[in-house]
Order: sequence, then C-alpha cells, then structure tokens
Amino acid sequence: MFKKKKEEVFSPASAAEAYVPVDADFVFKENAGEIEIDTNFASQSFWKEMVIRFLRKKSAVFGLTMILLITIMAIVGPGMNGYSYAGQNLSQKSLAPRIPGIEKTGFFNGDETMHTTSGSKTVNNYKTKGLDDVYYWFGSDNFGRDIWTRTWHGARVSLIIAVVAALIDMIIGMSYGLISGFFGGKVDMFMQRVLEVANSIPRLVIVTLLLLVFKPGMMTIIIALMLTEWVGMSRIARAEMLKLKEQEFVLASRTLGAGSFFIIFREVLPNIIGPIITQVMFSIPTAIFTEAFLSFVGLGIPVPQCSLGSLISDGFNSFTTHPYQIVAPILVMALLMLSFNLVADGLREALDPRMKEM
Amino acid sequence: MKKSILAFVLAMTMIVGLAGCGGSGATSSGESTGAAAGSGSSGGGDLNVMLETPVQSLDPQQATDGTSFEVIADYTDGLMQMDADGQPIPAIAESYELSDDGKTYTFKLRDAKWSNGTPVTAADFVFGWQRAVDPKVASEYAYMMSDIGQIKNAAEIIAGEKDKKELGVTAVDDKTLKVELNVPVSYFLSLMYFPTYYPVNEEFFSSVGDTFGTSPDTVLSNGAFVMDDYQPSATAFHLKKNEDYWDAGRIQLSGLNYQVIQDSQQALMSYQTGDLDTTLINGDQVDQVEGDEAFQAIGAGYLWYVSPNISKVKELANLNIRMALSMAIDRDAITEEVLKDGSAPTYTAVPKDFATGPDGSDFAEDQTKYSDVCRFDAKKAAEYWEAGLKELGTDKIDIEMVVDDDDAPKKVAQVLKDQWETTLPGFTVNIKTEPKKQRVEDLQDGNYELGLTRWGPDYADPMTYLGMWITDCAENYGCWTNEEYDKIIEECRTGELATKPEERWTRMYDAEKIVLDEAVIFPIYTQCNAEMLSPNVTGIEFHPVALNRVFKNAVKK
Amino acid sequence: MKKYIGKRVLTAIFTLLVILLVLFILMQLMPGSPFNDEKLDADQKALLYAKYGLDQPIVVQFVRYVGNMLRGDFGVSYNISKNTPISQLIAARLPVSIAIGGYAVALGAIVGLLLGLIAAFRHDTFIDTLCTIISVIGVSVPSYVFALALSFEFGYKWRLFPMLYNNSQALNSSILPSISLSMFTMASIARFTRTEMLEVLGSDYMLLAESKGLSGPALVFKHALRNALIPIITVLAPLIVDLMTGSLVVEKIFAIPGVGSLLVNAIQSNDYNVVISLSFIYSALYILIMLVVDIMYGIIDPRIRLAKDDA
Repeated sequence: MFKKKKEEVFSPASAAEAYVPVDADFVFKENAGEIEIDTNFASQSFWKEMVIRFLRKKSAVFGLTMILLITIMAIVGPGMNGYSYAGQNLSQKSLAPRIPGIEKTGFFNGDETMHTTSGSKTVNNYKTKGLDDVYYWFGSDNFGRDIWTRTWHGARVSLIIAVVAALIDMIIGMSYGLISGFFGGKVDMFMQRVLEVANSIPRLVIVTLLLLVFKPGMMTIIIALMLTEWVGMSRIARAEMLKLKEQEFVLASRTLGAGSFFIIFREVLPNIIGPIITQVMFSIPTAIFTEAFLSFVGLGIPVPQCSLGSLISDGFNSFTTHPYQIVAPILVMALLMLSFNLVADGLREALDPRMKEM
Repeated sequence: MKKSILAFVLAMTMIVGLAGCGGSGATSSGESTGAAAGSGSSGGGDLNVMLETPVQSLDPQQATDGTSFEVIADYTDGLMQMDADGQPIPAIAESYELSDDGKTYTFKLRDAKWSNGTPVTAADFVFGWQRAVDPKVASEYAYMMSDIGQIKNAAEIIAGEKDKKELGVTAVDDKTLKVELNVPVSYFLSLMYFPTYYPVNEEFFSSVGDTFGTSPDTVLSNGAFVMDDYQPSATAFHLKKNEDYWDAGRIQLSGLNYQVIQDSQQALMSYQTGDLDTTLINGDQVDQVEGDEAFQAIGAGYLWYVSPNISKVKELANLNIRMALSMAIDRDAITEEVLKDGSAPTYTAVPKDFATGPDGSDFAEDQTKYSDVCRFDAKKAAEYWEAGLKELGTDKIDIEMVVDDDDAPKKVAQVLKDQWETTLPGFTVNIKTEPKKQRVEDLQDGNYELGLTRWGPDYADPMTYLGMWITDCAENYGCWTNEEYDKIIEECRTGELATKPEERWTRMYDAEKIVLDEAVIFPIYTQCNAEMLSPNVTGIEFHPVALNRVFKNAVKK
Repeated sequence: MKKYIGKRVLTAIFTLLVILLVLFILMQLMPGSPFNDEKLDADQKALLYAKYGLDQPIVVQFVRYVGNMLRGDFGVSYNISKNTPISQLIAARLPVSIAIGGYAVALGAIVGLLLGLIAAFRHDTFIDTLCTIISVIGVSVPSYVFALALSFEFGYKWRLFPMLYNNSQALNSSILPSISLSMFTMASIARFTRTEMLEVLGSDYMLLAESKGLSGPALVFKHALRNALIPIITVLAPLIVDLMTGSLVVEKIFAIPGVGSLLVNAIQSNDYNVVISLSFIYSALYILIMLVVDIMYGIIDPRIRLAKDDA
C-alpha cells in the first residue's frame, strides 16, 4: 500500500524535475475516494490467471456448459411446444414419451411396459386412444399435462429459487460472519451464541413454521432456504476474517483512519470473494435439493406451479407404475447438482487460498 | 315391551349399509359369515394387515381415529357388534328392553370375561361411559354421548354443570345396565359398537394409572383378540386370538399382524411378495392392478365437498356464482380419470350407501334427484356465471381455495381449478395447501374463501349430514342461514316427526333440496379406498362408519 | 484445558435454556391447534386446553415445563399417541434411529474417505472426476427416490433384504435404509477429504516429511490423513446429529419406527410437547457433539503430535 503511494509521489516525471516537498504533501489523508483507488490495486492478473486455471479443468468446464445449457432450456424450453405447464387434458393422461422422427427407431414411440400384478405387458396408449398426431416428448402426467414443458418450467422455478436464496444467504451470512469476526470479543461471543441457537434448532421446525405462517409461494420458500443456509456462509466468512484482520493491509487502512465497516466491506471483502463464491456455488445445489425435500413434505411450491422438486415428488407416486414421469425431472436435477458441484470444485481449486495472499 | 335383539334388527328402520363402491366391495364379506361359525380350529395363521397410520390411542374413550377404533374393537366388545352389513348384533348384551316412551334401554349382559379373569359387569360400562363425559378426561368424542346418543345429563356433565355420577346410565346389578335418554334415538343400538361406548374395568384402570393402553400389560381384552406386542405409536404390532372370548368358536384366525406403511408403493410391493394379505393402495397404482380380482374399491363413507364462504365473501354470496361453480364441476372426470380408486361422483348433500330409509332403500340412491341444480353442464354454468358477474358488476373474480396437503385433495383441487378456469371466463382460483389441522381451523374460524373439506357419517341417518347446515352450527363453515331449513331440521330431530319415519324421511329430502338449490355446498364425490385383498382371505368385513374393518369372521386359507 | 471445558459446558447449558425458550415461543406462533377436527366443538376444545394447561400464560407454561423437565417429565403427547408420556414414546424410537443413523455414518464416512483419498492421489485425472461423479450421484437423486429404487431392486425384485423395517431382524432390515441414508454423508466426506488432502499434500511440512525419507502408507496415514482429519470431523459432526435424529424420508419408506417421522408428524399435527422434546434432544445432541469436537481438535491435531514425535 505504502509502496504504491510512493510511486505516485516519485513518478519519473517529478523525479526528473527535482521536486521540493511542501507542507501540503504531508497532510493526513482522510479522503475516502483516494483510499478506494488504492484497494483496487488487486491484480487483474490474479483473476485472469484464475480463469485460465478454471478453464484448464475439463470437469469444471463440462459443469459450466451444462448449467448454461439447462438455464437456456429453462428459458426457452416451456415455449417449445404448444402445451402450457398448467393446462390439463384428462383424456390424454399418462402417455409415455413420444418424439416425432425418433419414434421410428423404436425408442420414444409411446410404448410403455406396465408391470401389473397379473404380469408385464407393453401398451401404447397413443394407439389405443387413437391419438395419432399427438406427441408428448417427455410423456404426459396423470392430469394430461406435458412433462417436457413442466420439467423446464420446473427447472426455471428451481433455479430462480436456488440462486436467489444462495445470493441472499451470501449477503446475510457473509455480513454476519465478517462483522462477528472483525469485532471479536464480546460482540463475537454474543453473535456466535445467537448462531448456535439458530443452528441447533432442527431446521425443519423453523422452515415448516415459516411456511405455515406465511402465504406459501416462491418468496416464502426462498426465505426458508435462506434460513437454513446462512450459517455455513457466515462460518466461512468469519474464519477468513480472523485470518486476514491482523494482516498489514488492514492495519494500514486502520492507521489511515478508515472506519470499521469500511475495512470490513471494502478492504477485507474483496480478498475473500473466492471462498465466498465457492460456497455460493455449493449452496445452490443444496438449495435445489432442500426445496425438493420441502416438496416431499408437502411444503413446496403451490400447485399447479411446479419446481423440479415438486415434479419429482408428484412423479414419485407413479414411480412403479409410470416411471417415465419421474425420469425427466430427476435427470435434469441430477445434472444440475453434478454440474454445480463440478463448477464449485473447479472454482475452489482455481482460487486456491494459498495463491491469493497478496 | 320386550323385544329380542333379532326382532329388533329386522324391524330397525335405519341400518348402516356396507358401501360397495363400484359394486365390487360387498362380495368377499357376506358369504363367509355363516360358514365361519362353528369350526373352532383356527383357519390359517395370522392375517397380515396394512395400516396407513399408527394407532393414536388404545383408550376407547380418548381414541378418535379410524385406525385406533379398528384395533380397539379387535380386542374389545361393546354391548353390540357390527355384522357384515353393519347392523348391530348382540355382543356383551344378551338381550335388551326398550320402554314404551322409547327413552329407557335395559340391557342384560352375558357371561363374558376380561383377559385377567374378572367378569365383565354393568359397572364396567358405567365407568367407561362416565369417563367419556368427564370434563377431566376431556374426551374429544364426548359429543357421541350428548348430541348423538342423547344420554340423560350427558350435555350438562360435559359442560361441568353436573357431576358425572348423574349420567343416565346405571348398573342395576352386575348383569343389568339401564340407560336413560332425553329423547328416543332411533339409531341408538348402532352406537353401541362405537368404541366410545366400550366398557372399561375400573379396578384394572386404577391399577395401571396413566400408563393405560400403552403396552400389552396395560390393556384388558374382552374381545376376539388379545394384544400381545405393542408400543405407543408402533409401526408394527401383533394381536393373538383370545381363547377365553365368549364367542371364541367363531374366530378362525390365530392372530393379527399389523404393519404401518405410509408409502403406498412399498405397500403394494409387500402385498405382491406375500408379506401383506390386505393393503390400501393409491389411485396412482390402480393402473398396475387393473384386471386383478384382488383389487377392490371399499367405501370409506366420506363425502368430499367444497364449502363456499357465503357470509364473508361477497362474490360467493351471489347465488348465480355459486350455481355456476357447482355446475362447472365435472365430477365423473375427477373420480374416473384422476382419483381412480373407485370413489363415486356425488350430486346430493347426503352421500350414498350409509343411510337406509323406512322402505329399505338408500336415502341417496337417486343421484339425479336434484339434477336441475346439481349436475355437470358447462353451458349452463357459463350462463349462471355471466348473470352472476353482471349482478356483481365485475368481469373477473379471484378466489382462494384451501385444501389439505394430502395426495387426493391436492389432485382434486388441481382439476377443480382447471375445470373452473376453462369453463368460467375471468375466474382465477389460487390453491392454498395446508396441513389438515390448520385447514380445519381456518374453516371453523370462517377464515377462508373456498374450502375443500370432507365429512364422514357419525351414525346411520341422513341427519349426520343435514344437521350441519343449520344456523350457528360449528360445521356450517360458510355461515349460511335459512329459517325454513332450520325449522325442518328441528322437526326431524326432536319434534313430533321423530316417531314418524316416513314423514321424517320426506321432510329430510325437502331440507336436502334447499341445500342444493342454494348451492350451500358443492358435493363432489364419496370417497372409496382402493384395496388389495388376497384371494386366500375371505370374511373381512369392511364398513364406511365406526369400525373400518372387522376380522371376527375372517378366514385365511 | 479444564477451565476451558468448564466454561464451555456452562455456556452450553445457558444456550440450551435459550433454545428451550425459543422453541416455546415458536410453538406459540404455530398456526392451528393440536385439538382440531371437523367434529370437535369449541367448548370441548376449551376443556382440552384446560386439561393440558395450555390456557395458561406462556410464562407459566414455560416455568412449569422447565420444572417438570428437570424431574425428567417431558409431558404427554396430545394427538400422535394420546396421553403417552413423551419419554416413553421417544425411548422406544430413539434407539432405532440412533442405530440406523450410526450404521449410515460409519458406512458414509468410510466409503467417502476412500473415494476422497483415491480422488486426491489421482488428482486431475479421469479417476478423480469419476470419484466426484460417484460421490455426487448419491446426493443428486432425492433420497426418497433412491430409497424406493433400492427397495424395488433389492427388496422386491431380488428379495435380498426386507423391504420394511422389522424389529425381529433389526440388522438385516437396517441395511437398505442405512445405505440410502449414508449417501449424503458419503458425498460430503468424499468431497472434503479430497480438498483437504490436496491442500495437505501440497503443504510445506509434507515436503519436509517426504524429505525425511518417509513414504508410502506411513506418509499417507500418519501425516497426511491425520492432518486432513480435522476439517473432516468438523463436517461430519453435524451430519452425525442429523442422521442420529432420524430421517423422515427413509423412515416413511421403510416403515421404521424412528424419531424423524415422529417430529414431522408432530409439527404437522401441532403436538407441541413432542416437537419441543425432540427439538430439544436434537439441540442438546448438537451442542454436545460440537463440544466434543472442539475438545478433540486438541487431541487429533497432528501438528501437536508431530512436534512431540520430533522431540
């Protein structure tokens, strides 16, 4: 930090003209704006290097590609055929997947093998019902709704819920952890006890209560998810803060008269952004998964809206009867989970903590 | 005027019929009733039975759920028991006398023993019944004694105005029990197989104290089976045959093996591997068991209906809107395409298969009786809707519907939403799912707009339904009120009609017509349970009221 | 050390009291009532409230509850198992949950550790990715689907294991549930082991150990793994609590008489005493395990050990 200041003062141009210091040069700096410029010296090259390291990892790149692909499908997928996610057609219920073109290969031709108590049999309900021009790419559910449309709509809802919840819990958890770690002592003690209380009450009790008290819907689920995740985030932020707060650049900033919150959010925060992002990447799949659990307990998104979780829990009841109803949402969910995990692993290695000491 | 029990059964005007949903339920039970009697040897080992939920209580006066009732009745006999058709036949009572004014019953008890060897006496019944009304016990089913049983002083004791000793039931001697009623109650004998009316041995009860009904050692049996392995809220428990049962010769099974399974697919798989002899399945699995003779739809008795909050929601106060909603429901599609468990579409306020009239016919046999106001007719519904919107001066309505977060109600709600929104332009329904406890509270507090709810009959008379919609009744969730209706119900309940069955019957139809004309509720379907019953098993008796299953005549090959 | 432990225990007791109070307040906020049925009228409900003392002010209820609790009386269940003392209800179920949870923790930790080690030593190869995929697959599919699939394949089709929990052959019928439960633990442990091992393997003191001539298993287990164990235990500890206190999903599918499904049923039916007691047990276990972990840090920390060895 000081080094950089010196550079400013002794620029080659001024050195050549044999600059004579005046009193004004030694006024104590309290100008926040100038200090802010200082904090940004963090090397561009570090981030560039990180991107290169990340791209070198094939699994991480695969994960990122899948996430992008699923996100795109979640945006355009529901509009790709004429069905809507809530539109029912009871006369076309429980039809197996059938895709034009591919059907001739023998796959996705609407055939379905039923394991009944009196033996297995293969049926094609499109034919028995005379639905020659009807195609449900992923099949139709028990209400005659298109599973393709519902799967992508569900992916959209799940992604929004998970990302928003992860971001909010990042903000809250991070601030909590940073503040607790920075001030230490009694403040830390108190904040950690609060956290302990919050953490040791079974999540389900808090989440259920929340979902019962508030109107069910996306917002409530996001809040519920946030409540279960912020603790982990705050732990990491606090640990990082404890590591960094005795370092020279923090002391320097304090010496220069920076306020506590300035130091926390403008000095320390940029330096721990790596682990934080990694944690966010890990908490997104956790959020998707928790949402699926909430759906199973009956606390999910209100019908006929759907999320990946609610699709899986709906399809679950037909698991042994019409297994195709659960396959599509499970596949999408599994891919999302895997991809986010791969990306998170890739990020963590690219942002290797020992590489970022400046 | 002394009647033999048999004579009474024949003369009885109101009997509980076995609900045969889709006509398939009744077959397995009737045939073996007679055949089973006599042979004393046990007919094939333990019967493996699936339960959906664990037992909530083995205390006959505290239990409130079907599972608990069924299990308690496995090992306890009341004064009467249910036969295959749900009619009361003698159990602990050998005979009874009814006074001329119809208000005093005198029961003669047979020689029966508790499983600890003490004889069953009239005092056991007095003790049990007094517990049921004791405010300190606070039995949730106390109303079975007061409102429904009309036992003298029951209501006052519950309210804390009189001592429980003043209940209108006395032990004249060890084998004679006298019951005094406020008014004649035509279905009184059929209440006697209801567990709330079961005897409790006072000496035994005080010896086990608070642990009553929590282990095999703390329950006492006077019935067909004896509990021999049980823990509170157990997921599996066992009863064995009671060799000292007064009618032990009739019992063929060596025991009952109960298994709680909450996941219906696991239940079906367990049935297929032979681990279960009978199990409930979900409508989603019906495709898997189609054409299997073991698959049956068993009546569950519940009428599912939508209750509009007439007094609080101005849109629903409009009759045209309510008519439109009721007519826009395609009930057949709901039962045939979505529930698939054999549930029957219902177009009357009193469901079928539980109340039989003086002429022996089902009260709700004719489902087209009110077809001018309650049927599926999209065009007519749209007309009503149009007219209703005009009266309200609006072109769109947003309504919230509360439903239980259980499988069937959620399915039905989604179909209702779709049917309403496609038939009625400008209508938006938001479905709010809640745990059942909370949903019930919301309805009772009038804190809802539309509510999908159900009602199971307490006794075999249409009044168990029609009594709900009188002014200020707690179950009249929408707080609808109609003087004419209140008058009819009053007449049928306690007025002079109580002793004139035919006229009473006609008046109850008048009352039902008002309910449907005014669209006070939108009846949807009468619930059936999809059940797998192994072909090796005969004689399990299924009932829509009181005791879901009775195994006394069951035989396993 | 003793002073530190004493202080921690005191704070733990205070924290537990706060938790109990919070739970009480949460119960008050819960909509609905334990006594609610289509058939129940308001007068009878009032009687029931009076019978269980629920009509008293919350402070009175709280003080009385804490008093009873100190005497080992956790109250009775209101509707899951009417009037059964909670202690009896839980005593029958907790051991089952603890047993199955215990198997699951052991299985998940061992398999996860192995997967993580393999991945770390074959870092950035195909095997590494494969291990990640295997460990993530277990958590990618919701456990209820996974559990049912297991039951369908191994219980129904091949008839290798019982599909439903059975008290008379407890171990055999715990296998499928334990496997389904262990998936999450396995994945977390595998991932953490891999990360921590990578970090340890690249650290200076490993270089030192290597330069001292150590190699092979001695190097891996004595130095690397022991060092990596601390963060792994940190992750494992809360998982242990979660597993030991039962899982709704697995209990529901395998018909296990555990406490997980009990808690969910209790929440949904407003059975206050059951919710409070189970939550409290959970909290107490959690705090206890965290305490033990903190103390264990000092015992396991390889840097301390290493220093001793060198001395």
